[in-house]
Amino acid sequence: MFIFASFNTIATMETNLTPEQSLKVIDDMIRQAKRSFHRISFYFLLWGVLLIAAMLAEYIMTRMGNPPHGASWGVAGIVGGVISSIHGAREGKREGASTAMDRVILWLWAAFVITMLITIVGYGVSGGGTPSGSIMVLTGLPTFVSGQLMRFKPLIVGGLLFWVLGAFSYFVDPGVITWLYIGAMLFGYVIPGYLLKRQEDGLRTA
Amino acid sequence: MAFAPLDPILHNQLRLAIMSLLVAVEEGDFTFLLEKTGATRGNLSVQITKLKEAGYIHVQKTFKENYPNTVCRISPKGLKAFETYVKAIKDYLKN
Repeated sequence: MFIFASFNTIATMETNLTPEQSLKVIDDMIRQAKRSFHRISFYFLLWGVLLIAAMLAEYIMTRMGNPPHGASWGVAGIVGGVISSIHGAREGKREGASTAMDRVILWLWAAFVITMLITIVGYGVSGGGTPSGSIMVLTGLPTFVSGQLMRFKPLIVGGLLFWVLGAFSYFVDPGVITWLYIGAMLFGYVIPGYLLKRQEDGLRTA
Repeated sequence: MAFAPLDPILHNQLRLAIMSLLVAVEEGDFTFLLEKTGATRGNLSVQITKLKEAGYIHVQKTFKENYPNTVCRISPKGLKAFETYVKAIKDYLKN
């Protein structure tokens, strides 16, 4: 059989690889490569905590008689943006490989941030009330898609929750929206982020 | 039954390992390949050069934190060769 000749010839030339060994090398390396992903749990935890804090700050200020002016959102956005940039730059230097999925997830979230900023500014300019419901609906998209790409169920469920609570928020009192938003952030960002961190830590040390 | 001849460039443990890694990721640097394959620096460097000369990978020399950094990326020719190699191996194992 020709293939035997091929294997034997090459075996004497360079290495002693059988077909089974070849497949094992391929399989092992692809498994190894799958562990080389960019860690994104940090961002879910960071933004989840920051946005819950911003919403609570707005809620407390409103209860104290101050009209909502969005300062806490601005502070959360700047703090989150700066920390995310520093963390992203450090991780980028450390990572030795970049996958197509990393790139898709990066651009998905970048597009989401742009869409969200336009939405928030649009609401502000047009006096369209609180954008929280629309933000929840919008947030559902990248969360759900990231979960599907990573095959990570807590993020898929988190994305669905953002959509459901976001849609629900159009029909309830503005006071209730605060708690819907906090619930969506907790179950859509913070808890999946924590579970994802555990999975990332596990895969890195596996 | 006649089997497709195996590509001698790919039928080497380290070169096959490099190609398998680069198929799975879009691009990987020298340190990444070193860590995943467990090869020595010298051997890895030699095999990367062979794959580059065969046109199977693109190699880009950059800097990372002021140190030289070699980034490898599989080429369309390399991807096709890899697919052909895997098919040949699978055909052999099936028969």
